[in-house]
Amino acid sequence: MLKITNLHAGYGKVEVLHGITLEVPKGSVVTLIGSNGAGKTTTMRAISGMIAPTEGRITLGGEDITGRESHRIAKLGVAHSPEGRRVFATMTVNDNLLLGAFPRLTGSRPKGDVTADLARAMEYFPRLKERRLQLAGTLSGGEQQMLAMARAMMMNPDVVLLDEPSMGLAPILVEEVFRIIARLRKEGVTMMLVEQFAAAALNVADYGYVLENGRIAVHGPAEKLKNDPAVKAAYLGGH
Amino acid sequence: MQIFTQLLFSGIALGMIYAVIAFGYQLTFATSDTLNFGQGDALMLGALVGLTLVNLGVNYWLMIPLVCLFGAAQGAFVERIGVRPAIKIKSEFGWIMSTIALGIIFKNVAENVWGRDDLKFPSPLPESPMHFLGANVLPMEILVVVGAVLMMLAVEIFNRKSIYGKAVVATFNDRDAAKLMGINTGLVITFSYALSSTTAAFAGVLIAPLTLTGATMGAVLGLKAFAVAIIGGLTSGMGIIVGGIILGVAETTTGFYLSTGYKDVPGLVLLLIVLAVKPAGLFGKSAIKKV
Repeated sequence: MLKITNLHAGYGKVEVLHGITLEVPKGSVVTLIGSNGAGKTTTMRAISGMIAPTEGRITLGGEDITGRESHRIAKLGVAHSPEGRRVFATMTVNDNLLLGAFPRLTGSRPKGDVTADLARAMEYFPRLKERRLQLAGTLSGGEQQMLAMARAMMMNPDVVLLDEPSMGLAPILVEEVFRIIARLRKEGVTMMLVEQFAAAALNVADYGYVLENGRIAVHGPAEKLKNDPAVKAAYLGGH
Repeated sequence: MQIFTQLLFSGIALGMIYAVIAFGYQLTFATSDTLNFGQGDALMLGALVGLTLVNLGVNYWLMIPLVCLFGAAQGAFVERIGVRPAIKIKSEFGWIMSTIALGIIFKNVAENVWGRDDLKFPSPLPESPMHFLGANVLPMEILVVVGAVLMMLAVEIFNRKSIYGKAVVATFNDRDAAKLMGINTGLVITFSYALSSTTAAFAGVLIAPLTLTGATMGAVLGLKAFAVAIIGGLTSGMGIIVGGIILGVAETTTGFYLSTGYKDVPGLVLLLIVLAVKPAGLFGKSAIKKV
């Protein structure tokens, strides 16, 4: 579904990614793990067009999306739940979710049943149902994270990019977030997951890539990575 | 007392015009953090184009939507030529100079097309005043207030109810996140400029019958509306209505009780006080950023 070949990207003159190649097959969950500053978020940003790659190629279902503007990439079916949640603070939870469906409501993606999907999102995230008319800015960090995920799902995307969905959450909420990811995976949602909780991420993923200083150091099926002594020592020890 | 009521009414009508123009400042500030400093000239162009249409025999009421279309095109032009390049290179101040420059160019063009003299705009409503609470009110003044309120309400409803309006609000909240939703934020910004100049052009044809129409009519109005936007707050719809009325009434009362020479002083003094005491404006919320 999503294919990245020799991706170079960065900010200004600083190159963060030095040639990354990875693939997210349809219906699978791929996780990108690595320490802070390894380039996980940069990879996500390059895929969704928030930054322009300097070299390399990104294709979505065979279509070249390298360097396109992010609103065009979104309309092609990439939903990015960005780092730091980025919910629309002055708008209600309901409106935030509707905006997730913007490409469907405005005719650039098949419409389907937006109302039913809204109900489904609320069922996945019961907290959002209770707070549906509350302004997103007044939600707790955990609730905002759920809103950001639910908003991404509202697009009915071909690929979902989840950037650190567990960041800053209480342990109990982290568990809930991973439960939801596991559930989405069962439903066949194609996902790319960036996480610092490497062990938990590998538990819900099919395949994993370990990113080190802007390069892929190791990659393999999630089961195998979990038992790889080098990966274990570097990323799974603390968690 | 009678005189005061009279001054109050005139002040409110004037204040609502300031409010509509200030509303235009808010529209572009909301989506792009930029302002069209040629807003007063957009108003002037609207009034002059309207006058030409009326002189060509177009009915006043039919002329209004045409002028609004013209305003939209003019606003989109300003955005594309003056603002987009500045936003693209993330220049923080480039748009200030370019919108002022475009405003001056528009004024010069208007002077050449319509001349330097003020022109009379025929009133679509009877020019004999009505009596209300012992004061004289021109039917046109009532139209100004009603028209201004309707215009702002229409935009507010659009923003709250339609998905495109929500896209505008989302762009205001977080431009990058809005793009991730598939919203073409560049287009939203162009649209906000078009809408902003539409409100200005609309305000122009509303007040033209009450004042004289000419190439220089916009500059002072644009500046005072800017003061209103600062007094009321650049993000508060209620703020600009209240701010507009305060400034309008302050002007008419000072003009009468003190001297017309001083009529601009109280509003500007108020502006200075607000900037010193509550920089976000009377109704403005200081930005809250959650990390």
